[in-house]
Amino acid sequence: MTEVDQALICTLLVTATLLPLGTFVALIVLTRRVIFRQAGAVATAVMSFSFLLSLVALFKWIGAGDDAKAFAWNVPWIPIPGTGDGYLYLGALIDSVTIAMMVMVSLVSALVHMYSIGYMAGDKRYNWFFAYLSLFTFSMMGIVISNSVTQLLVGWELVGLTSYLLIGFWFEKRGPQLACKKAWVMNRIGDAGFLIGFGILFWQVGGKLLLPAVGEGEAANMFVAIRALIEADGHHSIANPPLWLTVAGIGLFFGAIGKSAQFPLHTWLPDAMEGPTPVSSIVHSATMVAAGVYLTGRIYPILTPDAHLFISIIGLITLVMGAAMAMVMTDIKRVLAYSTLSQLGYMILGMGTGAYIFAIYHLIMHAFFKCCLFQCSGSVIHAAHHQQDMRHYGGLGRKLPITMLCYGVCTLAIAGASIPYTSYGISGFYSKDGIIAGAYNYSSAMVEYGFLGSLFFWGPLIIAYVTPFYMARSFALTFLGKPRDQYLYDHAHEAPPTMYVPQLILAFMAVVSGWFLWRGMIVDSADAMTAAGATMVQSTAEIHAGEENIHGPLLHGCAWLIMIGLGLLMYRNGFGISNRIVNIKIASFKTAFGRVNVKPIKVFYLWAYNKFYFDALYDVFAIGLCKLVAIICGLFDKIIVDGRADWPWFPGIVNGFGWLGRLGALIAGWVDDKFIDAAANNAAMTAQGWGQLLRTTQPGRVRVYVLLMIASGALVMLVVVTTAIVMQ
Amino acid sequence: MFEIGTGHFFLVSVIVFAAGVATVLTKRNAIGILIGVELILNAASLNLVAFNRYQWGGDAAGTHLLHGQIFAIFIIVIAAAEAAIALAIFLNFYNNFGTVDVERADKLKG
Repeated sequence: MTEVDQALICTLLVTATLLPLGTFVALIVLTRRVIFRQAGAVATAVMSFSFLLSLVALFKWIGAGDDAKAFAWNVPWIPIPGTGDGYLYLGALIDSVTIAMMVMVSLVSALVHMYSIGYMAGDKRYNWFFAYLSLFTFSMMGIVISNSVTQLLVGWELVGLTSYLLIGFWFEKRGPQLACKKAWVMNRIGDAGFLIGFGILFWQVGGKLLLPAVGEGEAANMFVAIRALIEADGHHSIANPPLWLTVAGIGLFFGAIGKSAQFPLHTWLPDAMEGPTPVSSIVHSATMVAAGVYLTGRIYPILTPDAHLFISIIGLITLVMGAAMAMVMTDIKRVLAYSTLSQLGYMILGMGTGAYIFAIYHLIMHAFFKCCLFQCSGSVIHAAHHQQDMRHYGGLGRKLPITMLCYGVCTLAIAGASIPYTSYGISGFYSKDGIIAGAYNYSSAMVEYGFLGSLFFWGPLIIAYVTPFYMARSFALTFLGKPRDQYLYDHAHEAPPTMYVPQLILAFMAVVSGWFLWRGMIVDSADAMTAAGATMVQSTAEIHAGEENIHGPLLHGCAWLIMIGLGLLMYRNGFGISNRIVNIKIASFKTAFGRVNVKPIKVFYLWAYNKFYFDALYDVFAIGLCKLVAIICGLFDKIIVDGRADWPWFPGIVNGFGWLGRLGALIAGWVDDKFIDAAANNAAMTAQGWGQLLRTTQPGRVRVYVLLMIASGALVMLVVVTTAIVMQ
Repeated sequence: MFEIGTGHFFLVSVIVFAAGVATVLTKRNAIGILIGVELILNAASLNLVAFNRYQWGGDAAGTHLLHGQIFAIFIIVIAAAEAAIALAIFLNFYNNFGTVDVERADKLKG
């Protein structure tokens, strides 16, 4: 690739990033103009143009020569004192992953903007919604394009802010208020870890925080600098790293835990569904929550084996827990939220186990189908007059055929539908298969951990069976069967074209995006990373070998078929069988396979339905602790500081100081009265007395004075003359 | 031949001084008192000039020594300044009391 091509691609992508910022500024500055009323159309047009620029960059990148496909544009931003030429950098890092992500983010964003025109029509803060959405897109693209940990951090906080603003967009209502506060606090906790990791890296390598521009050996490159630093002492290497590198990696990953809603900070994501549905579809499923995965991918070469283990464990817990909760929720958006949680767990697990390629791949696939699923749920909610509970749905497929089609297609995509016993499927099939194979390779390498090590494989595999089930459940409950709320059903109607067109495009992308381009691009980046010295990336060959190993004994490509079938069967008429299991009083019932004990299922159901009591746990231990401290502080304030009216013997600190002040003033007043004033008065009276005495000698007549003067002069003369004579 | 000497000057000076003192003592009019003061000052000046003459006489070596005369000039200047201040006081006095009779200036008398 020539320098001119590089400059062109860089310009295109940076422009694409800055355009939504322009929209944001225009929308908040030019209020009460035409742009104000047509905010949706303007923002969508700008975003579409931004997508177009990304697309041109993509084609340019594909068409260009094979060498130097990863490059960076680094702009020194803040000089670091004491390091000579050390800088914090801004700019753009462009490699295959950046370009793939840019195209994905701008496409999804443009479609969500378009969808919002219909969904948010008539809202009183219509233009503000589009302003926030554009600001969000700018921040997200800023993260994607960032060339240094510094810029990542800036974009990171910006998406956090816009997420907060968008969750709390309907801030008149109590739910969104609490939800946006919760999202903010949870993200703060994660970002504290991010800052710690950032601080450790900064302490160790100073300004050399440029992200590993794969295939490029720059001096300020973080990976190069760290490797040089730890290999300098002779007995450390990337495979045998010092502790601080592990801590820094886990610290940075804590940012991902917060933003990608991983266990134990996952509780904010389901609550974030209080925001408008377009927000859920872009911020809380397709892009922002995936930013944690992207971050992990960007710092990938510095993650140590221990950090990888930590990441894998977090991902495993999240994906199992999310799927379990998604199985039992009745709110359509919450089902999707927990499904997102579970899928993010897959991606994080992929990152942890070394299936970097498939984690990023799944990120992009997931963005398309999950964004589409959320848009479909938005259309359903729109049609159902903001009723989100699936217990009130049923049979809506007859009223919303297009939405049902899109939802069904994306259900197949997330379930990983394929032709059984072959390697042909749609998007989710490829990516999830790769992650499971990567997890298999990882757990095979951990034989010394025995059963615990094998969990890394069995967890994602079993959840790959659960995913089609809960998606089929939500599909059946919403679109199939008889209407359970006749009024709602009678008033339901298909969404306007601005809403169903984006759904159709996304559903189309969800089907076809597995077949071209993305995977090869990500493989490029992974290969370059391995070439640069990263040890943890599993190559595609290794993953395929893993696939071959597990495909033999398992029902290859049948999971989705069985589980979707089961889901549809169980839930086609509302809660049918599942209700019977959960609500019946009997302890077990008889099936063709023997007696089934109901008790564990009921217990599990209750636990999952109550979100495994995480909220309660945090309420008691985190919030409760805060409240306890607050109450103690309050009592201290009331009793010790303010004092109590019924304790005359203890005035409290404030009143005590008041009393002391009064006492001091009394003493000072007494001294003033008795000494200072008295001294002044006595001096005056003395002067007056003497004055009275002396004035009596004064006649007050000029001639008398003159006479006295002359007489005394004469007397003096007389004395002088007499003395002179006598002396003679 | 009757020669005019220092004693003559003294005599004139004493007469003028006595006239000045008499004026100051007897006059109730403030302007009159001022005139009396001027007479006293001029008697002193006359004395100083006479003493200068008496000290140095017609001695060629001492003709340039004019201490007495310069003293007299100082007295004239000071008398002018003093007269200005005194007249200003009288003017204010007149403005307040409608007269220049010093017998009426007894406000400070207790």
